[in-house]
Amino acid sequence: MAVVSNCVDPFWNVCAAGARAKADELGIEVEVVFPDGSAQDQKQKLEDLRIRGVDGIAVSALDASGLNDVLNAIAAEMPLITQDSDAPGSDRVCFIGVDNYAAGRVVGKLVKEACPDGGKVAIFIGRLEQQNSRDRRQGVIDELLDRDFDSSRFDEVGSVPKGGKYEVIGTLVDNSDQSQAKASAEDTLTAHPDLACMVGLFAYNPPNCLEAARSAGKLGEVKIVGFDEDDVTLEGIEAGTIYATVSQNPYEYGSESVRVLNALCDGDKSVIPAGGVITVPSEAVRKDNVVAFRKALEERRQGDQ
Amino acid sequence: MSSTTTPKVIAIILLLIAISAFTGMANDRFFAPANLENLLQRTSLFGLLGIGAAFVIITGGIDLSIGSVVGLSATALPWMLTEVGLPIPVALLIVLAGSALIGLIHGLLITRFSLQPFVVTLCGLLIYRGLGRQLVLDQTQSFGQEFDGLRTLSIGRPFAIAGVQISTPSLILLGVALLSGLVLSRTVYGRALFALGRNPEAARFAGLPVKRLTAAAYVGCSTLAGLGGVLFALDINSIQPVSMGSFYELYAIAAAVLGGCSLRGGEGSILGVVVGAAVMRVLYNSIVLLGIPSQLEFAIVGGVLLIGALFDEAFRRFVDARRLSRSRRAAPPAPSAP
Repeated sequence: MAVVSNCVDPFWNVCAAGARAKADELGIEVEVVFPDGSAQDQKQKLEDLRIRGVDGIAVSALDASGLNDVLNAIAAEMPLITQDSDAPGSDRVCFIGVDNYAAGRVVGKLVKEACPDGGKVAIFIGRLEQQNSRDRRQGVIDELLDRDFDSSRFDEVGSVPKGGKYEVIGTLVDNSDQSQAKASAEDTLTAHPDLACMVGLFAYNPPNCLEAARSAGKLGEVKIVGFDEDDVTLEGIEAGTIYATVSQNPYEYGSESVRVLNALCDGDKSVIPAGGVITVPSEAVRKDNVVAFRKALEERRQGDQ
Repeated sequence: MSSTTTPKVIAIILLLIAISAFTGMANDRFFAPANLENLLQRTSLFGLLGIGAAFVIITGGIDLSIGSVVGLSATALPWMLTEVGLPIPVALLIVLAGSALIGLIHGLLITRFSLQPFVVTLCGLLIYRGLGRQLVLDQTQSFGQEFDGLRTLSIGRPFAIAGVQISTPSLILLGVALLSGLVLSRTVYGRALFALGRNPEAARFAGLPVKRLTAAAYVGCSTLAGLGGVLFALDINSIQPVSMGSFYELYAIAAAVLGGCSLRGGEGSILGVVVGAAVMRVLYNSIVLLGIPSQLEFAIVGGVLLIGALFDEAFRRFVDARRLSRSRRAAPPAPSAP
């Protein structure tokens, strides 16, 4: 079996831990492959895995449609599923992941909790090409503006959606460049001294927001709501410098991917629900449950060693 | 091919054979036709960039903008076809002419304004990446379903040799390589390019049009990068303006240097560059086929490149020593000092 990520990030290490634990339990072998974040590299690694002849592949598609040729070639030979980011038009058997739009709305709710009086909100994100990141961002905006549930909506990056008490002053895209992410956070704080909340939607964004707030002397003054479970993010929540985060449970991505692939290899199609989407629930982590959450995460990581 | 580059080319071919044999022994699927087809395709695409880099390196220059030119042309082509609705020949012409123009600007800045190639092309690396991203506001580009005819330019496989299908880019590479090889070894321009790389002062005093020759090398390099971008775009059909082609200048330079180009200028062979590009692609392929952890990827590629450079130097010394002893034997004994 092979699990293919979409870049190199601690998020994927947790996913790898879940995949390996499940593989050990089932007595099979799994390899986790990390492309460099470009579609070209992911395509090459998928082609090479197909040639090598693994029994099944679970991939986080770097493009919702552009990689369909190579995905379909794989799907013709072995069970292929997508996880984390889907390619709905391909011949993949199913998709495993959180509903990013719903997870984004949870982030929006946490922003409302953190800043009940409203104010300016800035969103920091690595990329907007992938469907999952677009949905996640839109969920945050729609929740803040009290819009109804419609994941097909898309506010342009340059727009300033405003409604009720909240104003989303901008979405800062850093192209997965961490130093750029930190610079964006710092510059936003400089440009908007009255910023109420920073929302970091890729795993490394909340730590960068935290650093920016610290160097601007605004710890606690500007609220931070994050996404994913970077160690720094969790430490920040424990210390009270970050309000909360939403975990999409990458451990389950890895574990579920291996479980489903294994069943498919044994010819068991009953693991696939109607509609072909296996939803992994996301989880809000605040100060009250962060200690338990970290402990569980630590145990899972150690189980991988 | 000059006498100094021949040993380097032989060394790089031996390295390619060694890596292939090692991988093939560990996993026999390495030699499966489908894998060889993939490798040929990748080598063809990266080989084009390597040849472009070689032209510039032979003049003693460098082009760091190759990857960004790849990104810009790979972004611009689908954008012009699907968003603007330009006819295919017009869009292709604009991309290739635009790439050539980029090279011309580099050449003029370097020769007329005496800016250093490193600086000029480093600025280019940043500028073209930014322009490509702004052009489509970072949106992923693709050709959709309507341009399958055009895509055969990159994914078409017109014929097979011994069960291995040969893709169109391989034929393009073959054509470009033959043409470049002929230009370098058989024309006045080519010889002048080597002379200029070895000693620009001497070349100028000898009456060679140094500025024009240098500019032409940059035009060739950027045009090949633009062509590469077109083929990469058609091959992958999912172009992220921010990441498409990033680092490719380093792959191109590595292929050129592995293949016998000296960064001091004046040396290089097209065959060597193409084999150098193949070594890089085979390495990446082996890492997946052998199940080596992704984390080690760069370390392994870097390590093998270093071994290649050392092996190359050792081989060159060995050949030089033999040549020297042979010529000593052939020549009359030197008069001994009193």
